[in-house]
Amino acid sequence: MMNERASKFSTAGLLADRKVTQLMAFTAFTFLIFSYFSSDIFFTPENFISMAYQVPEIAILSIAVMLSMLTGGIDLSIVGISNASALIASYIMTQKMSEEGAISNSWILIACLVGILMGLLCGAINSILIAVLNVTPILATLATMTLFNGIAIGITNGVSVSDLPEQFMRIGNGTFFGVPSPFILMLIIAGFVGYLINRTGLGLKVFLIGTNRKAAQYSVMGDRKVIAWTYVISGLLSALAGLIIASRTSAASPDFGNSYILLAIVIVVLGGVNPMGGFGTVTGVVLATIVLQMVSSGFNALRFSQFFYLAAQGGVLVLVMILNAVLEKRRISKSINKSLGS
Amino acid sequence: MARVKISEYSVENIVKSFGGAKALSNVSMSVSGGEVHCLAGENGSGKSTLIKIMSGVHAPDSGLIRLADKEFSELSPREAVREGIQVIFQDFSLLPNLTVAENIALPTYIFENSRLISKRETKKIASEALDLIGVDIDVSSSVSDISIASKQLIAIARATNLGVKMLFMDEPTTALTRKEINRLFTVVNQLKKRGVATVFVSHKIDEIQEICNTITVLRNGEVVADGLMKDFGPKSISKAMTGQDVSTTRIAPPLKLAKKRAVEVKQLTSKPTFTDISFSVAPGEILGVTGLLGSGRTELAEAIFGKYPVDSGEVIVNGTKIHLNSSRDALAAGIGYVPPDRLTQGLFLEQSILRNLVAVGIDQYRNRWGQLSQKNLTSAGGKWITDLKIKTNNSKNPVTSLSGGNQQRVVLAKWFAINPHLMILNGPTVGVDVGSKREILEIIRDRAKNGMAFLVVSDDIPELIQICHRILVIKNGKISKEFSESELSESALYKELN
Amino acid sequence: MDIKKLLLRNETVLIFAIIIFSLVIGSKSPEFFTLANLFDILRSSFVQLLFALGVLIVIISGGIDVSFPIVGIFSGYTAVIIMQKLELNPESLFIPIVLAVLIGIALGGFNAIAIAGFGIPTLIATLGTAGIFRGVMLSFIGASFISDIPIGLDKFSTADLVKFESDAGTLVRLHVLVIPVAIITILVALLLSRTIFGRSVYALGGGTEPTRRLGISVKRTQAKIYMLVGGLSGLAGILYVSLQRKANPYDLAGSELDVIAAVVLGGASIMGGYGTVFGTVLGVLFINMIKNNLVLLGVSSSWQRAAVGVLLVIGITIQAISENRKNKRQKSASDSEVA
Repeated sequence: MMNERASKFSTAGLLADRKVTQLMAFTAFTFLIFSYFSSDIFFTPENFISMAYQVPEIAILSIAVMLSMLTGGIDLSIVGISNASALIASYIMTQKMSEEGAISNSWILIACLVGILMGLLCGAINSILIAVLNVTPILATLATMTLFNGIAIGITNGVSVSDLPEQFMRIGNGTFFGVPSPFILMLIIAGFVGYLINRTGLGLKVFLIGTNRKAAQYSVMGDRKVIAWTYVISGLLSALAGLIIASRTSAASPDFGNSYILLAIVIVVLGGVNPMGGFGTVTGVVLATIVLQMVSSGFNALRFSQFFYLAAQGGVLVLVMILNAVLEKRRISKSINKSLGS
Repeated sequence: MARVKISEYSVENIVKSFGGAKALSNVSMSVSGGEVHCLAGENGSGKSTLIKIMSGVHAPDSGLIRLADKEFSELSPREAVREGIQVIFQDFSLLPNLTVAENIALPTYIFENSRLISKRETKKIASEALDLIGVDIDVSSSVSDISIASKQLIAIARATNLGVKMLFMDEPTTALTRKEINRLFTVVNQLKKRGVATVFVSHKIDEIQEICNTITVLRNGEVVADGLMKDFGPKSISKAMTGQDVSTTRIAPPLKLAKKRAVEVKQLTSKPTFTDISFSVAPGEILGVTGLLGSGRTELAEAIFGKYPVDSGEVIVNGTKIHLNSSRDALAAGIGYVPPDRLTQGLFLEQSILRNLVAVGIDQYRNRWGQLSQKNLTSAGGKWITDLKIKTNNSKNPVTSLSGGNQQRVVLAKWFAINPHLMILNGPTVGVDVGSKREILEIIRDRAKNGMAFLVVSDDIPELIQICHRILVIKNGKISKEFSESELSESALYKELN
Repeated sequence: MDIKKLLLRNETVLIFAIIIFSLVIGSKSPEFFTLANLFDILRSSFVQLLFALGVLIVIISGGIDVSFPIVGIFSGYTAVIIMQKLELNPESLFIPIVLAVLIGIALGGFNAIAIAGFGIPTLIATLGTAGIFRGVMLSFIGASFISDIPIGLDKFSTADLVKFESDAGTLVRLHVLVIPVAIITILVALLLSRTIFGRSVYALGGGTEPTRRLGISVKRTQAKIYMLVGGLSGLAGILYVSLQRKANPYDLAGSELDVIAAVVLGGASIMGGYGTVFGTVLGVLFINMIKNNLVLLGVSSSWQRAAVGVLLVIGITIQAISENRKNKRQKSASDSEVA
């Protein structure tokens, strides 16, 4: 219970900013490396454009994971939710198409809205388990992940829904003033979430709850409500990602992107989000997504197998965590040496 | 356990530094078997470092450790245990998911490097250890079902089981009722008879006087006083610990009793913890609440704040009845609560001072468009830093960069920021250095002068007398006596408590 | 132990659930109660149980491991490849098993370094190592399906302890694995309750700092835990390869959900410190009973995962509600220390 004076100046508050600048440097570094080693395939406009189409869905999923991590939990069900949302929207669209031969834009909109509602519903289920029933997030989202994935497999019998309407596909494959549409969507979403966590009361509460849940309870900030909202928004983001994926690939399947959960966690950790909660930036997550996408694309250009990329993801995750642990130990021993050891 | 021959356990001229800071300079202390020795000192005095050196966690830079007839320049934790040194920390280090028997017996198995463990033998070892200190607890029960006082006795049984010769007890009576303290002292006397050297680390002067034979007082890493307990009195111990004649004059401001009560509590009941509690506090009044732990005082405070379940009764703030069992309503009605454990309950340690300052009532810092205004936040933060004289040069620094006293100010400011009608403070100066203690009391006085009502829950009687207008004593969940301004005296209060 | 506490224990509730479900399924389809069906449930449980025992140990210690199926298939697949490449005796059963177990222990050692050595949170660490193991296996060891596995392993898949034709003409087989798996299960149970290592696992689940203060080496215990899980997973992996009669490196991935569900439903608390082998056995049997017999209820097998999901959600909800109630009661009880 006793506390002593720790180091007068500490970087913890500034750490977030420093991590972002470090990350920017790292992004540039990765870019240069791959450009150098594969100047013919990697360093081409086609490649960059292709990356710009693939980054958004992953970035949005990673931002969803970031949100739940900030509160000190984790949402493992993001892929289950994104697939479920994509499936229900695709189902509606293909049903309409087979009934009437063609489909109006308003029906596409309706299908997407239903998909989004699905995401909110799934998020709400997570919220009930975690915020109301006090189930640990890991366990709760592991269970819902199984449930959502299972229901999707059951309903579709494992078969994907494909041949989605062209107008819908334009979202995932078209451009808006020359910039790939999904990328624009990602920027909008990133901006929104960034605003949410940095400029609203809800956001500040998220950081505080993730730092010390007990103190948050004693400060009476409606911690349960905040956590509930977090998982609902995470569900919403997952649904949006799912819709973008469906639009880009013109298909929705119950098992798509099973490896995305690992990728999302690698990204948030690389992006400077503290796995224990309380610290992280959207900018970091977006930058990390770009880095990982460059690695994927670069490996591809260099003819490395996709499994090598998988191993690399795991490797990056473990390495970054080790690095964080080592740096933290050093920081703590420095501050212990400064304080009186009573 | 056979009777241990009377041996001496001592340290001579211990010096220890961490980085550039000196934790202990030339500290010598000696305890005999069969003696109960008090180690007293404020936070930062070097007590913990000394304990850690003797239990092998740290190695001294220089000096000698003498255990019975052996000499060491340093110890490893294993060696310390082998030589009979054991420390009981404030959390007892018990495992809640294991049985009493296992908690007591496991260290023995581990120390003997055993591989296998037998349930029957475990129970036997545990029962014998408990018998040895004269305690009766069901060894098959799970530790999570057991009271704090019993947990402590189990920790002691565990220590004796390992053949303890020198036992350190760190603030052992913090969470005990009077009855349990008596039980503890009986056990300590048992240890005494068996020749164990016991070191009682505590700052509770009345208890120290009751159980200890000898005393060493540390201040700033040096021994400033030692000798027989009977040669010391509360004032001399306090002066040795703090090094100053801290003013203990009453500073409660004069009270103009307003017609309207700020808070009225009527027949608040939460079975079986407290029943039929009724009292009121006027604006600007500072009401003290004390009682031994377990009397229900903390639960009462938290109940008024909506954090502890209440069965019946009323809480009326400024004339309006508030909903019970809801902290949200309590907060909205204008009640604030400063919890006793600042580090785990009051602060967000890794976050900045600014964020800690604004943590309550975050929504009030919103600007016209509903977004959180950085400007509002920073200016509010700056105001509180100045108002409460929080020593920092940058509100963006993490709150861990502050001293205990300044951290407590942050927690106070956090609540003052919503301008509550009633501020409930639970142990407001615990773990705060001496200079800051007085200043915090002055902060309370100044707010009271401006009309804020205070409920101060504390077991520090002298402090309550300094700041309170009236004091309520809670016993067995009921108000046993109310002391008005004229009746406030330390002896009367101690008498009523016991 | 009083009756009420006994009834409320997780294992008891699970036994009831098993009985009720058996009756429901059996009433719709009496085939359920045939020996053939029962033995089939057992057969599909062997591999899972071995994995589950490992997961149980990790969960009791307060951690979680999601890399075990990958460790399993990595070990099994690599063992087969080594046997083929080094032209080891294909009739031996002993060699591939030992190889797989050793590989599993080595991979577990990897986890141990990350978790015990560097203190990385267990979920993230094992998520990462799972990626590394899978990626390395598929990139460097081989990505092809091996259908001609060594003869010894292949023959083992039909090594039945009991084999006869029932009156209805169906084949009733009880695989010989029931014996070693039963022995291993008992050994693990004894390990957890009668050895210091086992108690240290529980201690870890009760708190890292108190465990350290007891004189237990937290790091060493954790290292042993993850290497033990690795070994068990390696064993499970090679047995899987044998029973399936093929070595498919893409197999087993995704099966961690079923295993973790079984362990959680069996009563192990994800927070650590609690859990029994008996409960885990029940959990595995329960999950397999449901999965295998959905067909008997007229439900297509594509609903298997959903079924596990539903059970898991219901299970954790019940556990959460009872936990919340216990906390509420404890709050008042421990504060009623009236002098």
